[in-house]
Amino acid sequence: MSDDAILRAVGVSKRFGAFSAVTDVDYVLREGEVAGIIGPNGAGKSTFFNLMTGLYAPTQGRIEFRGRDVTRLDAHQRVALGIVRTFQLVSVFGSLSVIENLILSVLRFREGAMKPWRFLFAKAHSVEVEDACLAALQRVGIAHLASAPTSTLSYGDKRRLEIAMSLSLNPRVLLLDEPLAGLGDGEITEVLELVREVCKSVTLVIIEHKISRIVDLVGRLSVMCEGRLLADGDPRRVLEDPEVRRVYWGDKAVAAAS
Amino acid sequence: MISTLAYGLTIGGILYIISIGLTLTFGTMRIVNFAHALVYTVGAYVVMTVTARIWDNFVFAGLVAVAVAVPLSYLIERFVIRRLYGQSIDYAIIATYAVLLVGVDVVKWLWGATPMPLSDPLNGAFVVLGGVELPLYRILVIAVALVVFAALEVFFRRTMVGKIVVAGLENKEAVRSLGINVDRFFTIVFLIGSALAALGGVLYAPITSIHPYMGFQVLLLCFAVVLVGGMGSIRGSFVAAFVLGLVIAVTGRFWGPAAETMVFVVMAAVLIFKPIEA
Ligand SMILES: Nc1ncnc2c1ncn2[C@@H]1O[C@H](COP(=O)(O)OP(=O)(O)OP(=O)(O)O)[C@@H](O)[C@H]1O
Ligand SMILES: [Mg+2]
Repeated sequence: MSDDAILRAVGVSKRFGAFSAVTDVDYVLREGEVAGIIGPNGAGKSTFFNLMTGLYAPTQGRIEFRGRDVTRLDAHQRVALGIVRTFQLVSVFGSLSVIENLILSVLRFREGAMKPWRFLFAKAHSVEVEDACLAALQRVGIAHLASAPTSTLSYGDKRRLEIAMSLSLNPRVLLLDEPLAGLGDGEITEVLELVREVCKSVTLVIIEHKISRIVDLVGRLSVMCEGRLLADGDPRRVLEDPEVRRVYWGDKAVAAAS
Repeated sequence: MISTLAYGLTIGGILYIISIGLTLTFGTMRIVNFAHALVYTVGAYVVMTVTARIWDNFVFAGLVAVAVAVPLSYLIERFVIRRLYGQSIDYAIIATYAVLLVGVDVVKWLWGATPMPLSDPLNGAFVVLGGVELPLYRILVIAVALVVFAALEVFFRRTMVGKIVVAGLENKEAVRSLGINVDRFFTIVFLIGSALAALGGVLYAPITSIHPYMGFQVLLLCFAVVLVGGMGSIRGSFVAAFVLGLVIAVTGRFWGPAAETMVFVVMAAVLIFKPIEA
């Protein structure tokens, strides 16, 4: 296929025991693209993200980043390449303050692959680092919460923090796993606005349950069902696909939204 | 009663120092590490050997013991525990228990099976508190436990490594997804925990008698501390260790044989009211 592929999955499968969560998926993400992935519960969307980001090793197949085979790289090594993700269940650290959460991502990006023994003595709070963190918080609109304990944040603010952290990692490609799930209506609009702004500079893949929320955002839509990639391409065309419609017929949550 | 309380706090301090490693290894790697008791035992034997054969200086011998424990536990981590990451928890129990059994036999082979005493490093010096004579050494043990607690608080709250570990205790995958090789930081914590286990052995050696099986008994008590304090909770272990130390001392004063049984009664009660969410 084209040379401008930033992320590519080739014949990727993931089995948990006898159960196949992802089955023989081929997927190509091009530089600058904004792609959506939809599919019913348990379709294998999050598992697919875990395969691309290295939290799971595929049972079969390989993952390439800009033509380089990264299948054997650990998750943290892929982050260093610029493959960054957020989680379906927002994953910020409740036992740290908001700014400490950011320090973890900002320091990491600035220091590169630092040896632990040097890191051991790295100052947790330097003015520079703190400024970078505040700027990142500013970008997502929660700078005023910098010193709050993260556990006291609303779910929406935690999501914003998580996005700020992922942006601080200097992503080349950003994988967002249902970033709108669990948010109130107002928060959805705001986070979507943020995502719209982010995707101007970063290649983006977004998983979402409700098609209507992202259909205007994405330039391309993929549908997963029972571990397989069912359809892939222009969003409107994909939604007209009879097989896609058949899948949705059986799934109330998504049917209601489409 | 004052001396009973002081004794309880001493036992609590030692239990705390030993339990940290167990609770951290469980919290970070989800591994129940029986080999921890071996490191503790080796700590006690080394301090005894060094004071008897090399230089009769307790502090020096203690440092040697801790220094020996670190490479020993690194080998255990590198060749046994690291292979158990992400495996079912029973594999870890079996493998680290095997390490403990083999290690105990090696200890027997090196030092023999007869229990050996170690004299009070302060030659029986005491302080008088409320009209009661208390061994100074035991008071110092309590102080060491408090210093360890304070040092760990600083480590986990103030240093970058500490914060990464705290974050990793919460959500390992999320730390990894920030580009941090979290396992390496867990190794650091594992070594700190092991060094503290050896320190526990050093501190307890003059109070108890040193024998190859001393680790088994302490291990059970430390599991009780970890369970009562909440697995992976550093502060929880601190409180639990002192509470259980006092339970041992107070029960022991009124009914000797039940002292340690009482610990497990408390543990059972805590588990009933606050079951573990796994
Ligand atoms: N670690 C695991 N071990 C065993 N089975 C798993 C594991 N992770 C996921 N699965 C199974 O794989 C299937 C796909 O899960 P996945 O989370 O990828 O679905 P999803 O498309 O993200 O669903 P949702 O919309 O609910 O988030 C599910 O049936 C799930 O139970
Ligand atoms: Mg999912």
